Amino acid sequence: MTETELLMWARGPALQVATVIFLLGVLVRILEILVLGRKASLAEARGSAVAGGLRTIVTRSIPDRGTLQRSTFNIVAGYIFHTGFFVVLFLFAPHILVFQDVLGFSWPSIPTQIIDATTIVTIIALLAVLAHRVRHRVMRFLSRFEDYLVWFVTILPLITGYFAFHRIGLTPPTLIAVHIISVELLMVVFPFTKLMHAFTLFMARYYNGAIAGYRGVNS
Amino acid sequence: MSASFERGINAFKEQMDAPVAAFFSSCVRCGLCAEACLFYTETGDPKFTPINKLEPMRRVWKQEYSFWGKLTGALGLSKPVTDAELTEWETLVYDSCTLCGRCSMVCPVGNDIAYMIRKMREGMAASGHAPEGLIGATQRAVTIGSPMGVKLPALQAQIRHAEKDLGFSIPVDVEGVDYMLLLSSMEIMNFPEFISAVARIFRHAGVSWTISSEAFEATNSGIQIGVSEIAAELVERIVAAAAKLKVKYVISPECGHAYMAIRWEGPNLIGRRYDFKVVHILELLDELRASGRLQTSGKETQRLTYHDPCQISRRGGVVQQPRNLMNQIAADFVEMPETGTMNWCCGAGGGVSSNERADEIRLKVFNRKKKQLDVIHPDAIVSACSNCRIHLEDGLEEYEMDIPVLSLTETIAEHLVDREQKEGQQP
Amino acid sequence: MTEITNDRELHAALNGLGAVQQRLLAAGFVKSVLHLCTDERIARVLETAADPEASDAALAEALKTARATTFDCHTRCGSEGDWLEQAGYFVARAAVAALTPLGQMPGGIAWQAAMSARMAQTSKSIVTGDNTAGLESENQYRLLAGFLNS
Repeated sequence: MTETELLMWARGPALQVATVIFLLGVLVRILEILVLGRKASLAEARGSAVAGGLRTIVTRSIPDRGTLQRSTFNIVAGYIFHTGFFVVLFLFAPHILVFQDVLGFSWPSIPTQIIDATTIVTIIALLAVLAHRVRHRVMRFLSRFEDYLVWFVTILPLITGYFAFHRIGLTPPTLIAVHIISVELLMVVFPFTKLMHAFTLFMARYYNGAIAGYRGVNS
Repeated sequence: MSASFERGINAFKEQMDAPVAAFFSSCVRCGLCAEACLFYTETGDPKFTPINKLEPMRRVWKQEYSFWGKLTGALGLSKPVTDAELTEWETLVYDSCTLCGRCSMVCPVGNDIAYMIRKMREGMAASGHAPEGLIGATQRAVTIGSPMGVKLPALQAQIRHAEKDLGFSIPVDVEGVDYMLLLSSMEIMNFPEFISAVARIFRHAGVSWTISSEAFEATNSGIQIGVSEIAAELVERIVAAAAKLKVKYVISPECGHAYMAIRWEGPNLIGRRYDFKVVHILELLDELRASGRLQTSGKETQRLTYHDPCQISRRGGVVQQPRNLMNQIAADFVEMPETGTMNWCCGAGGGVSSNERADEIRLKVFNRKKKQLDVIHPDAIVSACSNCRIHLEDGLEEYEMDIPVLSLTETIAEHLVDREQKEGQQP
Repeated sequence: MTEITNDRELHAALNGLGAVQQRLLAAGFVKSVLHLCTDERIARVLETAADPEASDAALAEALKTARATTFDCHTRCGSEGDWLEQAGYFVARAAVAALTPLGQMPGGIAWQAAMSARMAQTSKSIVTGDNTAGLESENQYRLLAGFLNS
């Protein structure tokens, strides 16, 4: 296969398949949750479940002081790599062009030097997070193959994207093809793993806040 | 019906709902829940990580309620849960979890882990993996009416004693009054002065109330062990008594899990709304305070702090009321570091203190409460749950800390203005 | 001659006493029900409580022992209760009250000791069916009156 054929395949059939798996998979996972339903409580409410649920979706992003003190690395590194990942994904000009193709609209990008620096910072944060996962006794205990797989498919697009942008190692078309394939890998793995938390955490936080809010507690 | 592994797995399945599925789907194995759980922080053993206590239930969810899980199961690629694993998990689910819910407050993706542990206990109990102490307590609750075997004559003796001390009678089985008071066996056996305290306060404040001789027990062992049918039956007895006496309110006493059972779980267990409202004794006392019907004089000068019983505060929503009451009777009220809905569990609730096998770990994790106390150095601790109270005393004694534990209701009663004397002094 | 005939008078008179006096009286209340407690630690701590010259260190040590006894004697949540053993628990609690520094117990230490001592009798009477609980308060009035008049 020539490098052009590889790139065409990556941008064409591979992307189509990955997108279908991603969208269908995410939809199925969300429906699987919703279909189980939730019984309404017959106890007399003290507060509003809906208000509590919506509130917790937002406030759960802010850790309480004690947790921040005890799990500083986890929280700080976690925020760094999440923020970095989203900045690179959504605010890099070439990415925005792809989104424009799909969605029909675009938004402002940020300078590539900043994207570049953010990519490095994010990669470093992810490496640190992996080291932490392996060394911290609780995380090591809890971690399964899936956690390491997810880590790998998350860092790979950042590394391949960096290499593609800086044309390191292989020819540009190949580098871009590899980068796109690494994103497709992420998309395909996504619905089968904890990456679903990107969507389901809104539901989980809502339910948490609703259950507590009903009883008059801000969770 | 006897316990069996199949019944256990079926019980797990029956407990699945959208929240459970959302929670299991969202867990990213970050381990933050471990740092919120005193059983982990005081032992350093990662198996006490809250989400780990749910592992068998998670696998049942995955294998039965997710497409991918069902597919891999059909291909023989997944590990079904075994009875041996449930045996292994028994101590995690019962001995090292009080359903305190602190983990539920810190999980970054929003998992209510305590909610799931409560559900998991249904499966554990149905498969015969509940601790002996709890099984005995539950059997006694069903057959005798009290998990500690307190029968009506014993309660009547305590009431008579109280009446003798008070100089007035305590209403029993009086129809048409506003409030029906429940009592926990712990109070009747270990802290019966609670009855006198309540009687004095109610007389002072002009509250019309009664105790039912047919349903006086507040403790719900069914909730703790995780057998909803039994929990429902215990609630039905209270509902029937409340209907017979035509009361408007049922009062939950100083017992944490009793409040959760009757206030929040009760109607869902029996499948219908109550014809009465449920109030925690602290809610009622605060209402009386706010309306001016509760008059106190003098304040405790010793340095007091308040321990939030988890089921009343974090899981129950009665957070501000005890603080209003504390400010009424304490000149020097200091909050624990991390207080209110983020206070730390005493380590004994949810059936842990009924379980002799858990004694060692229960005392070990009390160290978390000790660390809180070491920051503020109170002269005494006030709380509103008899189980917390006795366990705090045990823990303090174990760690050689000379700090008495007081009941908030009883302390308020000690400061009641003597209305008769006061009226005599009116010009 | 001071006479104590009811609880209001008992409470008022007790709270008018100083720390050592309350402790000695409380010890008297405990002694009256000591036979209901099978744990010999309480007899020992009672000696310290009843000693007007007892040092602070000795009192603190005795209090620790009394508290430990209280916990060992109580009926744990969810376990089957035995009212005769509970009587012992209340005797231990009365001993704890007697040894607690004044001011740490709302209501007063002698008063709390009196209440716990009565509770010990009530517990016993749940099993035996007698009326010793009622008699105990009379006993306490006499004890206090005797103390005040001496």
